[in-house]
Amino acid sequence: MAPPIRLTLPGTLRYRAIAVRAVAEAARLVSGSTQRDPNDALAHDVRDPFDTAVVSAFMEIFNNVAIHAYSRDGEASTIELTITPDADQIMIEIKDHGVPFDIDGVPPLPEELDEHTLPEGGMGIHIAKTMLDEVVYEPGPPNLWRLRKHLSAPTQQLRNGSPK
Amino acid sequence: MTVPFDVSRNGNEATLVIRGSLDINTAPALGEEIDRLVTTRPTKVLVDLTGLDLIDSSGVAALVKLYKAVRAASGQVTISGARDQPLAIFKLLRMDKVFNL
Repeated sequence: MAPPIRLTLPGTLRYRAIAVRAVAEAARLVSGSTQRDPNDALAHDVRDPFDTAVVSAFMEIFNNVAIHAYSRDGEASTIELTITPDADQIMIEIKDHGVPFDIDGVPPLPEELDEHTLPEGGMGIHIAKTMLDEVVYEPGPPNLWRLRKHLSAPTQQLRNGSPK
Repeated sequence: MTVPFDVSRNGNEATLVIRGSLDINTAPALGEEIDRLVTTRPTKVLVDLTGLDLIDSSGVAALVKLYKAVRAASGQVTISGARDQPLAIFKLLRMDKVFNL
């Protein structure tokens, strides 16, 4: 198992892209995927389903910490990331020293979705929980998010050269 | 922060082309543009997501705001070109059917 990747960042949205980039690259270590243009350091594209799930969920949790734990425009302490890419899974721990989040207070998406009930908020935690195998939140201090995503069987088979 | 969108007008029709990452950092600027756009009451708005690589819930919220505002004024919204991660997010949120993606 490779050693964990550790990053300590100011807990503001200004540093979000750095964190997302680190998580995207770590996800690619697990999935074996590549960017559309590997030489484009500013590329945003995430195409592999595993990478998509990991990056999508992480973006929402980072947003949540920067906005809720540390107010968007207020003073922010640090976000401590520990990213552990393994052969068949990735684990991400996100630690902050801000205001605890009421994860149970997040309302579910509407049962019936139409143009009148389309939600304009409250989607982030739903995205993270649905995309990942495990989303654990432990209120602090410090507050801790623990995310886990296993490489799905079809992706593993493709990487190993096995037939679908 | 690079603003990842362009807006063009042709009479009562508007085309919105969004590229790169539409997220919590870039969505507010799009929201302001949407506010300006809907005050002109366009009858048709085409949203081209062909160049969109990443979206988060803030980006989705901006598009929902546009969709609701234009529809509330009896206009039409056509969203096209969603692929990869953005399409996965729309499907997860079950918005692909509402947006007819």
